[in-house]
Amino acid sequence: MPDFDAIVVGSGMSGGWSAKELCEHGLRVAVLERGPEIKPERDYVDQLPPWEQKNLDRISQDEIARHYYKQYPGVAYAVKESNKHFWVKDDEHPYETVNGTEYDWLRGYHTAGRSIMWSRQSYRMGPQDFTANKEENIGIDWPVRYDEISPWYDYVERFAGIAGNRDGLKQLPDGEFQPAFELTCAEKEFKTRVEAAFPGRNVIQARVAHITAVTDEQRALGRTNCQAQNRCHFGCSFKAYFSSLHATLPAAQRTGNLTMVHNAIVQSVEFDAESNRVTGVRVVDAETNQHRFYSSRLVFLNASTIASALILLQSKSSTFPNGLANASDQVGRNLMDHVSGAGANGLIQGFENKTVFGRRPGGIYIPRYANITEHDKPYKRGFGYQGGATPLGNANGQIPGIGQVFKEAHGAPGPWRVSIGAFGEQLPNPNNRVTLHPTKVDKWGNPLALFNVTYSENERIMLEEARKDAVAMLEAAGCSEINSSPVNLTVPGNRIHEMGSARMGRDPDTSVLNGWCQTHDVPNLFITDGSFMASSACQNPSLSYMAFSARSVKYAADLLEEKVI
Amino acid sequence: MKTRREVLQSLIVSIGGASVLNACGGIARVVPSSSMRFYSDQELALVSRISDLIIPRTDTPGALDVKVPGFLDSLMTEWANPETKNNHHEELKELTRMLGEGFATLPPDTSEQRLAQFDYEAFNGRPISYSGYRSLKSLITQAYFASEDGALQEQKWVAVPGRWDPCVEIQ
Repeated sequence: MPDFDAIVVGSGMSGGWSAKELCEHGLRVAVLERGPEIKPERDYVDQLPPWEQKNLDRISQDEIARHYYKQYPGVAYAVKESNKHFWVKDDEHPYETVNGTEYDWLRGYHTAGRSIMWSRQSYRMGPQDFTANKEENIGIDWPVRYDEISPWYDYVERFAGIAGNRDGLKQLPDGEFQPAFELTCAEKEFKTRVEAAFPGRNVIQARVAHITAVTDEQRALGRTNCQAQNRCHFGCSFKAYFSSLHATLPAAQRTGNLTMVHNAIVQSVEFDAESNRVTGVRVVDAETNQHRFYSSRLVFLNASTIASALILLQSKSSTFPNGLANASDQVGRNLMDHVSGAGANGLIQGFENKTVFGRRPGGIYIPRYANITEHDKPYKRGFGYQGGATPLGNANGQIPGIGQVFKEAHGAPGPWRVSIGAFGEQLPNPNNRVTLHPTKVDKWGNPLALFNVTYSENERIMLEEARKDAVAMLEAAGCSEINSSPVNLTVPGNRIHEMGSARMGRDPDTSVLNGWCQTHDVPNLFITDGSFMASSACQNPSLSYMAFSARSVKYAADLLEEKVI
Repeated sequence: MKTRREVLQSLIVSIGGASVLNACGGIARVVPSSSMRFYSDQELALVSRISDLIIPRTDTPGALDVKVPGFLDSLMTEWANPETKNNHHEELKELTRMLGEGFATLPPDTSEQRLAQFDYEAFNGRPISYSGYRSLKSLITQAYFASEDGALQEQKWVAVPGRWDPCVEIQ
């Protein structure tokens, strides 16, 4: 008898969902997390006031050079002295890039993975996102359509808690929302003016995974409403934003079916050729370096798109000499992210005698309009903008004056600034890939990731247009002092939306997974992290990983019950 | 309202209490301090004077009340790498040159006028040659608002707002 009914590799955004759903189907589940345990009462620092933060909460420059030389430049707004333990040390977890390319692999190895550090923007993919590949003959067709995943979005939204407005946009479908964070007065004005000048464009409230009208189900997990601290990158003592740590993993735990294992780095998934099934996983203990084997009837890979691809590539056998479930040679290919680096900001007049109270954890969103409501574009697909309009404020001393006048200027009424930045879709390209480094290994003997990812002309052209559009919208809104830096594309991986390394499709020759996130090659192996994405859309993807994970578990559990696998 | 001397005393407490306060004719001077880890005595006198002029005590505490110079000394010691440390020393050297050697010991009215003019130039004239000043001003301001008094009294920082109000009339 196997040790477990199911093993879930990874405890982050999607792994938490796999664990919860598998446990609630009555299966005995082990979650293998490669990092140490996060204990909120010890590790959260959201209640640390400014005056208890060391050195303006800056990590020392020497320490950045030694340990955070990728993480810090990649995500400086969130990597601070007080929460640096949420981020990997680059010298302990190195990776390589092919000459002439760059990649940002930004990570946290611990309970709940990046679900405790994410920026919580939560949008559904729309009908167009599932058909674009087919219509444009790019990549491969999604084997799923929006109507099939829609009820699963409903399901995960209700549990997670998404604050959003029902805006009635077909390209960004509404969901089971809790009340959205109200727009600022300047944002309302910006919305009115932009929507009047550009009838196909909308300015809406950001949809974020924050509880604003707590449900009984959420309260039972100890969660409560967002307190508008906006200290989310430091953890949330109120458990108000969705994370595996406070939502899915506790739900899994209370079934009595969960075994949580920390410091377990999966090195391979074992395959039995005779039965054509995976039988379990081999791990190395991050602290003791001891090797262990856990057996199970099912394996769910939720290690994140890069790590899941690496695990498959490391799992070689005579049946799969190029890596487990990789008969298609698509594992590690089609690596995508979103692309930013274009936007604008400017001052909006008329609100100088107003301000805000509280610190909202989101802002505005301008959903994709390119090739949706506007069709004259020199590029395919599109982008959405994230942003906001808030009092300019000033705490950095970059305003003129000294003495009482300068001091009081910080609390005085002042101008408001609108700022918007694009998140664009990256087209799938099989040459954008991660492979195992041929010679270099980490301190546990695992081959390093070797990245070879570049943007295409479509992304470059799109972002140039996104910059122009941003300026045009700020102009239409009557903004002054408009700034828009030349487009400077983010490094691939920098948006921390990496996806696509084991894409789903209809044909086993060209895809790794079927429409249920089940590998074509091995029936009891599933991957429900970002790996399955056949295209990136332009929406922040976590909500989609949640929905596909829940849907996939239902399918797998049914197959187990029917003894098909 | 504290006297200037009391303000300076609190500054000294902030830097470890090992300094000796020497005031003459309304001109304050901080003399040898074994507890400063980064600033020389001359640098400390300059940073202290500029901090006090930029963010004086009003009906709320000023930069010296909340020990901004000691904070910046720690910041430079613990956060900055050798290159940043060196740049900061160089910037203070340049500031001393631009403001005049005796700036820290000028009578208050004179130094205030001098710095006000200098600040005006830094924000309206040729910002590049004033980058050292602007960088110091930024650090002083950040350090002030990171203090308990600066955050709570001046910035009205609220730990747990509890709600989001997107449009509040300023009274």
